[in-house]
Amino acid sequence: MLRIKNLRCYYGQIMAVKGVSLSIRKGELISIIGANGSGKSTLMSAISGLHRNWTGEIEFSGKSMKSLSPPAIVEGGVSLVPEGRLIFPPLSVRDNLQLGGYTRYRKKNGREADRDMDRIMDLFPILRERAGQPAGTLSGGEQQMLAIGRALMAKPSLLLLDEPSMGLAPLMVEKILSTLELLKKEGLTILLVEQNAGAALQIADRGYVLETGRVVLQGPAADLLCDEEVKRAYLGNDYGEFTDGRA
Amino acid sequence: MINDMDRNERLQSQLERLQSTLNRAFRNVPFHQSRFRAAGIDPGEIGAVEDLAKLPFMRRGDLGDHYPYGLFAVPLRDIVRIHTAPGTSRNPSISGYTRQDLSVWQRIISDSLAAAGVTPNDILQIQLDPGLANWARDYRDGTETLGAGVIPGSQLSIEKRLMVLKDYMTTVLITTPAGALELAEYMYRNGIHPNGFNLRTLILVGEPAAAAEKRKLEEMLHVTTWQHYGLSEIPGPAIGFECGRHAGLHLHEDHIIAEITDPQTGAPVPDGETGELVLTTLTARAFPLIRFRTGDRARKIKEPCPCGDNRMRIDWLPERMDDLMIICGVKVDKQQIRDQIEGAFGPALPDYRFLKTSYNFRDLLEIRIRIDQRFFSDEIKDLEKIRSDTAERLTDNLGIPVSVVLCETV
Repeated sequence: MLRIKNLRCYYGQIMAVKGVSLSIRKGELISIIGANGSGKSTLMSAISGLHRNWTGEIEFSGKSMKSLSPPAIVEGGVSLVPEGRLIFPPLSVRDNLQLGGYTRYRKKNGREADRDMDRIMDLFPILRERAGQPAGTLSGGEQQMLAIGRALMAKPSLLLLDEPSMGLAPLMVEKILSTLELLKKEGLTILLVEQNAGAALQIADRGYVLETGRVVLQGPAADLLCDEEVKRAYLGNDYGEFTDGRA
Repeated sequence: MINDMDRNERLQSQLERLQSTLNRAFRNVPFHQSRFRAAGIDPGEIGAVEDLAKLPFMRRGDLGDHYPYGLFAVPLRDIVRIHTAPGTSRNPSISGYTRQDLSVWQRIISDSLAAAGVTPNDILQIQLDPGLANWARDYRDGTETLGAGVIPGSQLSIEKRLMVLKDYMTTVLITTPAGALELAEYMYRNGIHPNGFNLRTLILVGEPAAAAEKRKLEEMLHVTTWQHYGLSEIPGPAIGFECGRHAGLHLHEDHIIAEITDPQTGAPVPDGETGELVLTTLTARAFPLIRFRTGDRARKIKEPCPCGDNRMRIDWLPERMDDLMIICGVKVDKQQIRDQIEGAFGPALPDYRFLKTSYNFRDLLEIRIRIDQRFFSDEIKDLEKIRSDTAERLTDNLGIPVSVVLCETV
């Protein structure tokens, strides 16, 4: 469904993503883990068309995304839940959701979009309760639900999530991740970028580990969860050393 | 499973694995880092599988030069098994496995056995010489992963081996072509009919069996033969396997990338032409090998396999591209043999020559040493001591059966 080949992303002269290749098959949930500055968010921005200074190939459903604008990418079936949610605080929860389905309402598919909004509110009942409330008054977890709901309003076939657990209480993280699992079961393809490696790999089919803009490990999520290097670097154990002194 | 993938999916999957392998090798192994730098290549520049050809080759000698742990890409605490074998240089060869690596290689072997029709209902007997002890362990583990019963290798006389084969109702035997031939000839000479056995599958490892040799074994033992290909260094005994069509060896392309290159120029040879098999590991965590020159001679089979599995197929050819001999499935460097002989005799080195031969249908390295005046003694036992000491020393150090013959001319 999504195929990235040798992607390099630049900020001026600085290369933040250094030749990354990855792929997602239909219905998969893929987790990308890595420390701050590893290039995860840049990668997401490039896929969603927000970051334009890149070389390599990004193909979605067999078509190059090189020249597509962010709205065209959304219309093509890729929605991003950005890091930090970026909801519209003064607008109501309902308005935020409607904005997520903007292209559909514009195309007079409002009835279908309304049905989807209903479904999203079933998925996150708190959004229904607070539908008329300004989004800025929601808690962090509720705002995250809104951000996911807003992305789902575009009826994506690929959902990108950038650090959805950031700053959330463990209970809320659990709720968000279990919702992603549910969406995957319903057939949605998901690319999840997370610093919470353990949680992200628990629900993923496969994973990629990014380090300073490069993929240093990849494979089935279950294998990565057992990998000593992943455990030490991302799951809370201490670092080891090479016998000859190499760190 | 990668064998269900189309060509593009496979190339993408190989590229992803290759890039992470190169990034980790570059980050963790100074040997690889310095080679990449010397070649002026950053791993990030490898944007396609074909770009692999930009990287320098690894040679067997590199393994000896960085003995023991210099090529490990993980801290030693992550290693759960270390294999050591006689090797082809002064140092033993070594390979390390993380827990993940073991699991991957066990699955590879299990899949290769399944391709030969082995099922959990089978009983496998492993009969490999001590030089292939690591492979015997690998096959044991792979068989257990498959869920079949396994009789691990043990050093039994041929009579006892046959007894086990019959009484334990072994259905699958894993051995070298030489080992299988020894068994078949022994049975033939002693009037032991294969109908009294349950054996139906013979898996041949260590060296390529010629078609005529396979036919002979199939007729003598009433079995179907299946060839496996592997390398101690890669490390695993079944990265190449035959499918039910017996039309070359499929390679586990989800775990290795194979190139066939011209040994002189290093350039890839056109598909279908013979060259040296060069392998790059894609999933080995502890001991990644990048463009490792195997010395094995092979040819890529261009035509798709009728079995439908579109993984690359090769013909593994008997002649070698390097200075190695294969005896009982074990690779031995000719220079290493020379070093051992020279080490045994010191400055009083006599004329000698060596060759691969067989005794009672069993592979043997025969070393013919010319006895000159210096060695003559009126005591026969002195000469016999020279002969037996030399044979024992070489057998120990090379990990293969060695016979020393003292003669007046070599």
